[in-house]
Amino acid sequence: MEKIKFNLNGKDVSIEVDPSSRLIDVLRLNYGLTGTKEGCGEGSCGACVVLMDGRSVNSCLLPMANVINHKIVTIEEFSKSKAYECIKEAFSSLGGSQCGFCTPGMIIASYALLKKNPHPSEEEIREHLSGNLCRCTGYEAIVSAVILASKKGEGLW
Amino acid sequence: MVKKCIATSLNEALLFLKDGEVTIVSGGTDVMVQRRNVAGELPLHDKNVLYLKNVKELYYIKEDGDGLHIGAETSMSDIIADKRVPKILRECLEEIASVNIRNSATLAGNIANASPAGDSIVIDNLLDAKLKLSSVRGSRFVDAKDFVIGVRKTILEKDELIEEIVFPRRDYNHLYWKKVGSRKADSIAKLSFAAAYKLNKNKIEKMRIVFGSVSIKPAQNKSLEDEFIGLSVDELKAKIPYFVDSYRQVISPIDDQRSTKKYREIVAMNLLREFLENIK
Amino acid sequence: MTKFATSVKKVDNEDKCKGAALFVDDIKMDNMLYAKSIRATIACGEIKSIKLPKLPEGYYFIDKDDIKKENVVNIIYSDWPIFCTGHVNYYGEPIGLLVGENRGKLEELAKQIEITYKEETPIFDYSKSYIHKEYTKGDYASAKKRAVKVIKESFESGYQEQAYLEPQGMLVYPDPKIKDKLICTGSMQCPFYIKRAVMRSTGLGEDKVRVIQPAVGGAFGGKEHYPSLTGSQLAAAVIKTHRPVKMVFDREEDIKFSTKRHPSRTDLEALIDKDNHIIGLKAKIHLNGGAYRGCSGVVLSRALIALTNAYTIDNLDVVGDAYMTNTVPTAAFRGFGSPQTIFAMEMFIHHIAKDLGVDALELRKKHLVKQGDVTANSGHFHDPIILPEIIEKAISMSGYDKKIKEYSKPGCNKGIGMSLFLHGCGFTGSGESDLIKAKVKLIKDEKDHVYVYASSVDMGQGNKTTLKRIVSKNLGVRDDQVTFDNPDTDMIPDSGPTAASRTIIIVGFLMEKAAKNLKKIWKKGVRQEIVEPYVGPTYIKWDEDTMQGDAYPSYSWGANVVEVSYDPTTYQISIDGVWSVYDCGRVVDERIAFGQADGGIVQGLGYGYLENEVTDEIGRFRQKNLSDYIIPTAKDMPHLETAFIDNPFVYGADGAKGLGELTLVGGAPAVALAIENAIGKKVNKIPATPEYIMELVTNGKD
Repeated sequence: MEKIKFNLNGKDVSIEVDPSSRLIDVLRLNYGLTGTKEGCGEGSCGACVVLMDGRSVNSCLLPMANVINHKIVTIEEFSKSKAYECIKEAFSSLGGSQCGFCTPGMIIASYALLKKNPHPSEEEIREHLSGNLCRCTGYEAIVSAVILASKKGEGLW
Repeated sequence: MVKKCIATSLNEALLFLKDGEVTIVSGGTDVMVQRRNVAGELPLHDKNVLYLKNVKELYYIKEDGDGLHIGAETSMSDIIADKRVPKILRECLEEIASVNIRNSATLAGNIANASPAGDSIVIDNLLDAKLKLSSVRGSRFVDAKDFVIGVRKTILEKDELIEEIVFPRRDYNHLYWKKVGSRKADSIAKLSFAAAYKLNKNKIEKMRIVFGSVSIKPAQNKSLEDEFIGLSVDELKAKIPYFVDSYRQVISPIDDQRSTKKYREIVAMNLLREFLENIK
Repeated sequence: MTKFATSVKKVDNEDKCKGAALFVDDIKMDNMLYAKSIRATIACGEIKSIKLPKLPEGYYFIDKDDIKKENVVNIIYSDWPIFCTGHVNYYGEPIGLLVGENRGKLEELAKQIEITYKEETPIFDYSKSYIHKEYTKGDYASAKKRAVKVIKESFESGYQEQAYLEPQGMLVYPDPKIKDKLICTGSMQCPFYIKRAVMRSTGLGEDKVRVIQPAVGGAFGGKEHYPSLTGSQLAAAVIKTHRPVKMVFDREEDIKFSTKRHPSRTDLEALIDKDNHIIGLKAKIHLNGGAYRGCSGVVLSRALIALTNAYTIDNLDVVGDAYMTNTVPTAAFRGFGSPQTIFAMEMFIHHIAKDLGVDALELRKKHLVKQGDVTANSGHFHDPIILPEIIEKAISMSGYDKKIKEYSKPGCNKGIGMSLFLHGCGFTGSGESDLIKAKVKLIKDEKDHVYVYASSVDMGQGNKTTLKRIVSKNLGVRDDQVTFDNPDTDMIPDSGPTAASRTIIIVGFLMEKAAKNLKKIWKKGVRQEIVEPYVGPTYIKWDEDTMQGDAYPSYSWGANVVEVSYDPTTYQISIDGVWSVYDCGRVVDERIAFGQADGGIVQGLGYGYLENEVTDEIGRFRQKNLSDYIIPTAKDMPHLETAFIDNPFVYGADGAKGLGELTLVGGAPAVALAIENAIGKKVNKIPATPEYIMELVTNGKD
């Protein structure tokens, strides 16, 4: 066991865990942050994506040792932001969320893209979101939602 | 009981490597899959574990007289974003897994993982990259092409780690990379093909040809590469059937859950043929 | 001009976007135990012995001896045991559950269990039929005498994995208030299926089993029957331990052991007369049903019925068998038998056209189903059919007519394909009126707020939004005046399973009637209740034994056009364009309908060219995770263009018919036809992977 210090959702936290623990388990079990989902446990589906220092990462593949001194933001905290509101509205108005299991990860990944590239082309969106699988929407509504968010959310990222 | 070390300096890491067998974790994107347990339970480590991601001194991309140096802990995303990095390596990395994974994964990890389906090692071979292997005993440089010796087997000694990857400057006229995956993104290679040549006064001066995922390690043949040297473009074209036949013997693809031996062989040779035919 | 229904905000959007919607794995209870399945490691044989390690206190092994009543999963055929009876019939068949508090400990204990077997030779081919069905139409034998040409071909299709993003999971717990009552919650499609399965296996009464649906992360048929198995297993564990027991599969366990789409082979023989008219079709359809029949009889039946697809052929001789193999049982998957035969028929009619040297679209147009035509099963197409408009629209959207000519030139490495298809809505024949007998309930409270009670599960397809909308619209009240919570079997009447594209056409129709009736008696400030039973069209008569009559209450129709480019060096296919036109009666909510259309076609395309799942020498799946079982990513798909054409159905809510499955069935033939066009060779198998395309290009028939 090690004392792992990191910043979770804006607060500095310190937790006594094995450094090999997966971030997803610590989020879901120790902090009760169940908005982060496990769809495959091997980084293929993206349902577990969270932000680490503003970049999208698979929390199922992150050992806690790698989280030390980094900023982790989950959907629970991100959903309080204006940027979330903008992306969510776009997802809502275009139908980007169906079963909802991929949605938190998809929204976080979309934000990470817009932060890096506020005006992505359709191709760039498809490339960036290719690590986030969705079986309901055929990606059509998700891709158009990101385009819409990028138009409406000027300055939010 | 396995020991776990979260190193914060290279020295600390090397000292930890001194005793016993160690699993080295960089980005974790391969190890965490290989050691996966049921959800909620610790990954199953049977060896001591060394975490390198907190060793800040291994985060760098720098240039000097020897070429370009990439520190072991630099993420693939950071490598892709750096325009000093050879374009072909960036293109190769951009096809590995997804953005989410590349934000954690490292080039050194991809090499050390020594998967027969590893992508970046093909390019490392193509570019004559060298790996700096370090231990408390000191450091040594090895050619990337000599690093992998089998399925998940490397020449890395128990107490060594990859400290950096060095790409010497090269002046090829043309470099080519093709990954054949099962879909357009986030896929593991069925096979890959990388090649480069240098033409001087219509004669081949240098040739590199490397196949990925069709042998236990990237398939390359030095003597065949030497046979290209001195050929004019026309002479080369005339010898394409010979080279294709020869390279067919260099690879040894297998049937697995991702593709077939036959497909891998035929497509590898198609790619080689196409590449050679396009030399101008 | 089509007038689209506008859209309302999807009711579960807020919670799902911010991660607040609770899926089964998000639910944790005090004292909760976890379960791990102990599975057979042979494909076929007798269990000789099971040696358990000494189990620590609080750890249990649950097996067939813990089933209180009947050790069968309550599906249509009762041959699938909850726990292995002693004879193993597929690799991975559950023998028991290890149950305890710590999941890591369960893994450790599981490794110490020693099971010995007496192995038998497993069967993996189409040799042992366990369900046979057949029907005829007209007189095939005499048609054959008139035929000037007989054309034969075979078509094959592989497994398809549902790959819902949320893996299978179930939680069963003792009711904290009522003694001996069990509550089941988990990822599901059909709450009452689980309830009846648990009642049957435990012997508990109607009032002692309650099923509550949490958020469900996709299903596509994969959660129609399988949760009845896991629910029954966990019920036995709860009865033994008196504690909540949860079992959530990881992706690998889910892919390896949950049900998938039936692999198939369809052998076809067509009779052609002197006018190049198809006067007869003979078919033998083979479905790989896996170790147990389960619902394979119905899948087979629907595969047979769908065979002639959008075409009228006068003389038919159709037989089909579901075969026992020592593999994981196959079961429901969006399309339910029809994707296999519609793929075969669409390819075959093109190949016939090629063999006859006639234009494929013209040949198809000559045989298109029209209103009043006799169906394959000698029933009638009662309702208006607008296939010509659908085709015209699809062509104008895609430029199919010009492109097909252009791409047929050798060496251009592009291709385009158009599939036409139908899908029967609701349960087969008069099943809705005779078997399901769906009911819905509306309760209005004293504050004039209306609660919708139905067993329809929203697993992403949006019926919480659409059904609620049908109610509010017909009551003439605001949307927020109506609530439709997730089904809880203690509160709701059985309005049937969420399957068979029946929710909008059947349950929605009931909602419409119930709302209209409530409106008639509406009294402000008074609690009122309406229960509406299903009364379907009385003209629908069906005999399942002879397979004669009207197979479905109604049909939805569609066309998909897919454009591809082809890389002759790697034999890879890239999808460059997708255009779809559907007649689903009338769209209830535009955005939700587009969502179904987009998701369905992509799943259908994946089935056609990408999603490869095969078994090894002992019947295990070789592709067992999402990096080897390949589903499309955002990058694999282009922008999708979809149009709906109104064709209201009298017995549908505001004219609506089924949509969910329709959107999948045309994907595979459309992409396979596009590939065929690009490579100039006949495609007879899906998925048309690069490996298969390479075989075709090097050896295939033109």
